[in-house]
Amino acid sequence: MNTIKELYAYRQMIFSLVKKDLRGRYKGSVLGFLWTFINPLLQLVVYTVVFSYILKANIDRYYLYLFVALIPWIFFSSSITVGASSVVAQKDLIKKIYFPRMVIPISYVTSCFVNMLLCFIVIFAVIIVTGVGVNFAALLTLPIIMGVEYVMALGMALLTSAVTVYFRDLEHILGIVSMMWMYMTPIMYDKSIVPDDLLPAFNLNPMTHVIECYRTVLYNKAMPDLSTLLFAAGLGVALLIIGCLVFNKLQRHFAEEL
Amino acid sequence: MAQNEIAIDVNNITKSFKVFLDKGSQLKERLLFRKRSRYEERKVLRGISFQVKKGEAIGLIGHNGCGKSTTLKLLTKIMYPDTGTITMNGRVSSLIELGAGFHPDMSGRENIYTNASIFGLTKKEIDARLNDIVAFSELEEFIDNPVRTYSSGMYMRLAFSVAINVDADILLIDEILAVGDANFQAKCFNKLKEIKSHGTTIVIVSHSLGQIEQICDRSIWIHEGLIRAEGPPKEIDLEYLDFMGQKLQESTRKELEEKQQEEASEPAEEEEQEETPEEKKRWGSGAARIKKIRAYTSDGAEQRIFRTGESIRFKLDYTVKEKVPDAVFGIGIFNRDGVQCYGTNTRIDKLPEFSLEKSGTAEIFLEKADLLPGEYLLDFAIETGDGIPVDYYREAYKIEMISNIGDVGISRLEHKWNI
Repeated sequence: MNTIKELYAYRQMIFSLVKKDLRGRYKGSVLGFLWTFINPLLQLVVYTVVFSYILKANIDRYYLYLFVALIPWIFFSSSITVGASSVVAQKDLIKKIYFPRMVIPISYVTSCFVNMLLCFIVIFAVIIVTGVGVNFAALLTLPIIMGVEYVMALGMALLTSAVTVYFRDLEHILGIVSMMWMYMTPIMYDKSIVPDDLLPAFNLNPMTHVIECYRTVLYNKAMPDLSTLLFAAGLGVALLIIGCLVFNKLQRHFAEEL
Repeated sequence: MAQNEIAIDVNNITKSFKVFLDKGSQLKERLLFRKRSRYEERKVLRGISFQVKKGEAIGLIGHNGCGKSTTLKLLTKIMYPDTGTITMNGRVSSLIELGAGFHPDMSGRENIYTNASIFGLTKKEIDARLNDIVAFSELEEFIDNPVRTYSSGMYMRLAFSVAINVDADILLIDEILAVGDANFQAKCFNKLKEIKSHGTTIVIVSHSLGQIEQICDRSIWIHEGLIRAEGPPKEIDLEYLDFMGQKLQESTRKELEEKQQEEASEPAEEEEQEETPEEKKRWGSGAARIKKIRAYTSDGAEQRIFRTGESIRFKLDYTVKEKVPDAVFGIGIFNRDGVQCYGTNTRIDKLPEFSLEKSGTAEIFLEKADLLPGEYLLDFAIETGDGIPVDYYREAYKIEMISNIGDVGISRLEHKWNI
């Protein structure tokens, strides 16, 4: 409870860190902020070529099918991989000044989140230009889905950033973990083709449900399944609680370990 | 004492650090060499308790590594004590790390927002303070330029202005009053006094006893992780100075003994060793060399810290390789900004030239050293009569001046007011 109150008092710090991160991210590169869009677009091209032309996924408008899942996934995976090193990266600040340590992963995840929101502009542009159109009622649930994903990503980032301080290998391990996680989530393919004996693992994966919700709303233009959304929210909150507990326990010795 | 009158309550805290002999933080190392990651536990604080009343200012003193900075870090909650408790009542601001989170490409104004937000201020609170901060930093013209274009002095001025305008209930300060030029320092100092008069509780860690004496109501002397003495700064600081003086004497004696032993065993090499690290700070024909410099207070104690207005006696031991028929001794005193505060030599002072034939000791006695508080670097030199250096030794010695009078500048001028 105290933590929440304190974090609220430090909201301006979160805000300025997010701003600094967004402004500083592409500093010095020629295309600058455009990279926010170019990067996912290029990934989209690669996956579309591989899965739609070579592997023949046989899904209508595969590029959109993939795009609405890929952008949320990139947000999630960068939150845990790069988020993991966020606390280590700010060690100068942590060693020298007091502030609630959670500010760092929170602001990092938030800046990734803002990036995702910007990418959604491109998604909507594609939806409109290609004439797919939107279901406005379903669209109203989009902020909820995003919120659920944000909670999940934050939970994971709290966990990984705190553990990385004590165990630096995690940064590298997470690169592979996040790749495996991506293939274990129905992003490039449909959940219906997953073999039955693997289904329980897919259902336990919180991102499966989130991605399905995004896809239902944006690709199928339908209301998301309430039970899927609730289940995802439940998993998200559980992750966040675990993340907070671990972070709080580990943060006491940050200054000495860094 | 009523509970609501206490700003800081430190109750029997201990803290130790693990000093790893070889630390493996990788998985492989952790798994394979689990038993090998040996470490030594170094106890930095061994049970410290004190209370600070609201509006009181205390100074923590002690030599390097005694635990005073660790105590301050525990107070700010950067670290947590192993045992014991700390209770802080009120908003805490620390002047420990100035300019935290400054971004060189952002303007001074934007950096004020970033930096102040790290102290936990909201946008509204920063808006309200912005004018004060800018005015205090004296950077009105430059406030919209990127911080990378600032000089280091301007940078620190901006950083200090933010930190001091946070309006905390408790202010923790670690060695920061060395910011900027003398004028700005004086300004910071006055601001601190003003803050204190508004009832802010202040804890200062400083090597500069003069500053502590000016602001603090109480000094706490921490020695080897325990409180050795506490009380009015004037008394405690004197006790501390005495102690440090004795320690210095001990260590110099030890050094001397070691040197003598070394000299006895390998006399030829010793001289070369001395030459290498000091090449740039030392030049001259080498016919004679300054061997050792010592400074004494009026009562004969060897010391490096002096009070403004006290006398200082420097003794220079020198050795002679070749006879110098017309020697001149000189001294130069520089402050930390490299400004020469005073310099003279035996020629300027119209002493007769003298011939250096064998090793001996020269002496210069400053009857009333009116240098104001701060660190000073001293040059000593031996020259020939026509000014050719025999042994010019730059930054040969360092002294610190302390004072509990708040006058500013370089040197105190004798003065009298008639009002």
